[in-house]
Amino acid sequence: MVLAVRARNLRVGYVDEDENILWAVKGVSFEVNQGEVFCLVGESGCGKSTIGNTIIGILPPYAVTDGELHVFGKPVVRGNHRDYSGIRGRIVSYVPQNPGTSLNPYQTIGTQLYYVLNSVYGWDKKKSLEVAKKYLSLVELDPEETVDRYPHELSGGMQQRAAIAIALSTGAKIVVADEPTSALDAHLRLQLIKLLMKLKESESLTLVMITHDLVAAGKICDSVAVVYAGEILEKCSGSNVIVEPLHPYTQMLADAVPLLGFKRRLKSIPGEPPRPDEEVTGCVFAPRCHLAFEKCVEPPPHFKVYKGEVACWRYAGNAKQ
Amino acid sequence: MSAVISDSRKSPNSSVKGLYQNLTRRYLRRTKFKIGLVITLVVLVLALVSPWVVPYPDEGAGYVPPEASQREKEPPSLRFFFGTDTRGRDLFSRVIMGVRSAVIQITTVISLSLLIGLLAGVLAAYFKGVVEIILNYLVELFISIPAVIIALVLRLALGPGLMTVIASLVTTWWSWYARITYVYARSVMEMDYVTLARLSGLSPLKIMTRHVMRNVLTPVLVQAVTDMGSVLLEASTINFLGLGLPLNSPEWGVIMLEGLSVLEIAPWISAYPGFFLLVTALGFSLVGDTLREEIDPRLRRRWRLWF
Amino acid sequence: MPNNNVIVSLRDVVAGYLTTGKGWRSLFKHVNVVLKNVNLRICDGERVTIIGESGSGKTTLLKVILGLLKPVRGEVKVLDKEIYKLPWGERVSVLRQVGYVPQDPYKALNPKLRVKTIISEPLEHMSIKPREIEERVYEVIKMVQLSNKVLDKYPNELSGGMMQRVLIARSIIHDPEILILDEPTSALDVSIQAQIIELINSIHKRLELAILAVTHDLGVAQYLSDRAIILYKGSIVEEGYIDEVITRPRHEYTNLLIASYQVFK
Repeated sequence: MVLAVRARNLRVGYVDEDENILWAVKGVSFEVNQGEVFCLVGESGCGKSTIGNTIIGILPPYAVTDGELHVFGKPVVRGNHRDYSGIRGRIVSYVPQNPGTSLNPYQTIGTQLYYVLNSVYGWDKKKSLEVAKKYLSLVELDPEETVDRYPHELSGGMQQRAAIAIALSTGAKIVVADEPTSALDAHLRLQLIKLLMKLKESESLTLVMITHDLVAAGKICDSVAVVYAGEILEKCSGSNVIVEPLHPYTQMLADAVPLLGFKRRLKSIPGEPPRPDEEVTGCVFAPRCHLAFEKCVEPPPHFKVYKGEVACWRYAGNAKQ
Repeated sequence: MSAVISDSRKSPNSSVKGLYQNLTRRYLRRTKFKIGLVITLVVLVLALVSPWVVPYPDEGAGYVPPEASQREKEPPSLRFFFGTDTRGRDLFSRVIMGVRSAVIQITTVISLSLLIGLLAGVLAAYFKGVVEIILNYLVELFISIPAVIIALVLRLALGPGLMTVIASLVTTWWSWYARITYVYARSVMEMDYVTLARLSGLSPLKIMTRHVMRNVLTPVLVQAVTDMGSVLLEASTINFLGLGLPLNSPEWGVIMLEGLSVLEIAPWISAYPGFFLLVTALGFSLVGDTLREEIDPRLRRRWRLWF
Repeated sequence: MPNNNVIVSLRDVVAGYLTTGKGWRSLFKHVNVVLKNVNLRICDGERVTIIGESGSGKTTLLKVILGLLKPVRGEVKVLDKEIYKLPWGERVSVLRQVGYVPQDPYKALNPKLRVKTIISEPLEHMSIKPREIEERVYEVIKMVQLSNKVLDKYPNELSGGMMQRVLIARSIIHDPEILILDEPTSALDVSIQAQIIELINSIHKRLELAILAVTHDLGVAQYLSDRAIILYKGSIVEEGYIDEVITRPRHEYTNLLIASYQVFK
């Protein structure tokens, strides 16, 4: 099977005004198979959005990279050299978090789709409009109605769908969605997730979803990578991440989420994640981990366990590296 | 692995002092700022010490010594670095002493305009309703009238002099700051900390000073610094047109006016003050620009490639 | 512990915003009604959450309770005083019994002020001696589990969780009867949400005040309330003890909310 995305020791950082490099992503490796739903899960500031941005190719000019990133075999990141020609907007497309700001407020949805289709395929207005309507109905929006609407005339949920339609219309094989449901109400969230699942089937899309919702990730993703302070702590299949989390952090995250109808004691994780400029020695989660022991002063390697991969010294015994 | 330890949270850009620290640390490296700062500092120093530094201070102030009539309109020489003017006075002394006049005009105009503008803007944003409507009306009115036209009117009313220049400029510039303040103040009024303050029973005065003014001041001040160049140019224009300071004053616009009639035979008389005008205005602009970049975190990013 | 003192009561409240209509109607200003016939009561020591999504009118409802938006019709009483019949000055003295924590900590903290000033602001013209103010500040900082070092910092030096705690500290320093929180956990990470929920509950116990929280998150509501009120398109569609509302919902909107929450469980 072709690997849609492959990252090897990818590091991404930003240069600040004092010429220091702040590494937001500190050496991650993962693989995304074609046609699967891959989730990057983590809290704010952990670097998951940065990883997403690196896949899409929208890192700012003051970013520095290291390691490798391949998209469908093509190396887009090698060391500090980034080359997204033919990939950005063509193979990989993007659905941003806030639908309100990702759509051009001065153009109708139809016009926006036209510009995309025209630049990718070179079609004229008439043909583009036909194809545009096809994509709109794909995302379950009324094509005739929506084509002439301006973004502010649509509700939040509809705006998000329109954004997805635009992302799909590029013909991209990989769609990176950055917190696609955070800006939506609960019942809209459900609808959107169902839509994404349907699209994955019908369009054989590869979906990279960035989210902080561990439970949603577990439910709909084929594989999950848990990100913390710029590192991947755990990789496993979606269903397992809630049921049998490997890493203590994942377990604590799962314990911190309120469950309905089941009033168990909410356990919070004491302290806060390290800031990007803080020097970290040893396991990056150790300061907050209630299961930390002496070995944790050294950074743990990734242990392959039968259910996935985890960066935690507690698994040193039962695994091969 | 990581190259770092700089705690970016340690820089308190919440205070003017913090702003200064940021500036000196980072922006002294920037050529733009360096050039602007050098020019500005030179200008300020000259404004203070010019009478003691120039070779002919009396002539600089406007006095025409009896022997001057023999050396009218002489080109630049070792004795008179910039040559002499239409009455034979040392142009160099006049131009250098003109710095003082420039600085006085700028600082007075800007401080007065800021005072009135800030007050008006904050009051309108806080009290809304009628106050708001009146302010907007006044701002629209005054912001569109060129200062020169007002100078014309005031010249008739007040006669020549510094007052006329300052009054004309303040009459237009206050509305500019009032509008900027008003816009910023309105967004501050939307902030929850203002709501909280009102609910805690703070007096309007307290809210306006502690919450609104403090958050509006920095961007407006930065704008003011950037405006210094334009104010200087406008003031000199008014003087150049003969609507402000009288002839023989140590002011660049006035000197340029004097040199206008003899432009072909003695171009240096208008050229030197013109050049100084340009450089000074540029210096202020550069400083103001850099300051604005410091304030606006979005602009600040890595555009060092461009400068 | 809850006794029968009513802290906040709303009767038949209809509220909205003035807008100009379209077309010929633009000659007249009319009210765009957002809240329709709202009746609610919060008693001393109770924990109540209002659950509503965007567009439900929860922001408007909060404004009405806080004395910031006069309703078109209906009676609003805080501590038995009809606040909209009072001039602003007197209204504020009544509202001083109310502590308010706004939704967005970035907009609720003045970036130019130190935490110490921010927290002590409500006490300022209550004729309390400066030393006593300082003591209360220390007391309250400890209650929200922050160290004294925070007092000299500026808001931009704090994390999201810390800012939220500072806001809570400010809201309780003047010993209110009721604490009103607007989406107290929405801006926070999951791991910190739990800390804040716990904090609010502990303050509720220690200070014996009533809690009114507005949230869109049913799960959070479960932990933060005794009673829940579900707001949908400006009307209260369901009301009752939280456990009952969740296990035996009566309105279909409630069902919808529960279903969307649970699909992921």
